[in-house]
Amino acid sequence: MRGRGRILVWIERLGLAAAGIGLIFGLWNLVIVIFGLQPFVLPTPQSAVSAIVDNWSALGTLTWQTVKETVDGFVLGAVVGFVLAVVMSLFRPVQRLIYPALITSQAVPIVAIAAPLVILLGFGMLPKLIIVAWIVFFPVVVNVLDGLAHIDDDLIRLAKVMGAHRAREFLQIRLPATLSPLFSGLKIGATYAVTGAVIGEWTASSQQGLGTYLLTANSSLDVQAVFGVTLLLTAIGVLSFLFVMGVEAFATPWRTRSTSRRRFVP
Amino acid sequence: MVNGPKLAVEGISCVFDGTPALNEVDLTLGRGQFVSIVGPSGCGKSTLFNIVSGLIQPTSGRVLLDGQEVTGETGHVGYMLQKDLLVPWRTVIGNIVLGAALTRGTTRADKQEAARLAARYGLGDFLNHYPHALSGGMRQRVALMRTLALRADVLLLDEPFGALDSQTRLDMQMWLLSVCQDLNMTILFVTHDVDEAIFLSDRVAVMTGRPGSIAATIEVDLPRPRGIDTLTTAEFTELKRRALGLLHRPATTSAPAEQGSMP
Repeated sequence: MRGRGRILVWIERLGLAAAGIGLIFGLWNLVIVIFGLQPFVLPTPQSAVSAIVDNWSALGTLTWQTVKETVDGFVLGAVVGFVLAVVMSLFRPVQRLIYPALITSQAVPIVAIAAPLVILLGFGMLPKLIIVAWIVFFPVVVNVLDGLAHIDDDLIRLAKVMGAHRAREFLQIRLPATLSPLFSGLKIGATYAVTGAVIGEWTASSQQGLGTYLLTANSSLDVQAVFGVTLLLTAIGVLSFLFVMGVEAFATPWRTRSTSRRRFVP
Repeated sequence: MVNGPKLAVEGISCVFDGTPALNEVDLTLGRGQFVSIVGPSGCGKSTLFNIVSGLIQPTSGRVLLDGQEVTGETGHVGYMLQKDLLVPWRTVIGNIVLGAALTRGTTRADKQEAARLAARYGLGDFLNHYPHALSGGMRQRVALMRTLALRADVLLLDEPFGALDSQTRLDMQMWLLSVCQDLNMTILFVTHDVDEAIFLSDRVAVMTGRPGSIAATIEVDLPRPRGIDTLTTAEFTELKRRALGLLHRPATTSAPAEQGSMP
């Protein structure tokens, strides 16, 4: 009976989510009707979707390219961000030294540094990865650092009274405490990562991706294709977010479950 | 040293930034004794605890365990606070074996032992539960099991039931009494609840503050095992009257000073 109740809850949630997205498309159509907009000004979402479907043979490889940049850059940014946060929390002077630089890095307009990066690193994958990672690492650093700073002092004291080794204290208490904030950072990063990939492609386009396609469609005033690709890019962002959320549910079971998946049977 | 005291605190004084927090505190606990410290908040109870557990080095004085000096050394006694400090990502079993995980790594035997403890003291159905799924009383039980699993025979309990409602607290007190009876633990217990102190203890030390010192001790010779009926006996009421008298006599004279020393 409990299983069935849980399925009903999920159906309700999915239904509401779908209704929310449907509402956006409904409003979109409504705007077109009310203002009598021509398809070359604002195409309907249906025609934007069909622009993707009809052209999938070409768009498929481009999508793959952009997804690859997004994922690789995301992983790079996440790893760099996490390691930075841990190092900064372990060595206070390092934190004081590089925190201002990190904040400054995010104040730099990403579009402005894209071109110099390409000049510096060439037209390959690297500048694109760096741009995506640049966007992703920041929320990861900030959240993980926050998580490490907010560990209860009394818990650390308790560990000391228990005679804890420093390394074990780090592995058993500090590291697991970073998981929840890490995923908060990753979820923000996942939605922004696609934007990074598109900006990267706009400046360094030796390899065709959705960003370069968007650029071409834009200059040829192919409004339908522009909206179609935008929808596709949005979908990639949403799916990335959902994927991270799925991994989170698996990696931090204590947040959603009342009992452990791995049962200890004496 | 079998005949000597289990735990002895000798002439402990502690000064923080020129302000004396503790002044010449002496306390001895025989093996298997339950001693409570009662006193107003800010009287230095927690400082004394941190010194006995080894977290703080006193300005002067010594802490002896089985006659051995352990002043400023951690890892000798079990320690439990009002906050249960359970780790949210570990199950009940995982939390009970935390001490082993932090010192040498857990073995199947550790977990088996933890499961035995848990089952014996009413947590048997919750071995694989995460702490957030447990009630406050349950969580404190897990915290005490975790302390017991350290196999230290001296426990320091700093207002462990302070955050629980009075009903649960009484349940937990009776439960603690049964656990102590079973395991012959030596316990130093801090509370500001006089009823709790008398109900649980062999001896109650009344502390007064600024600087903290022990004003008097009361021997509690109520027969064990104790139950709810104990709370309404004439002897209990008489002990409570004495304790309250000791606690509130200095308060009337030192109240203005206390206000003056607010930070």
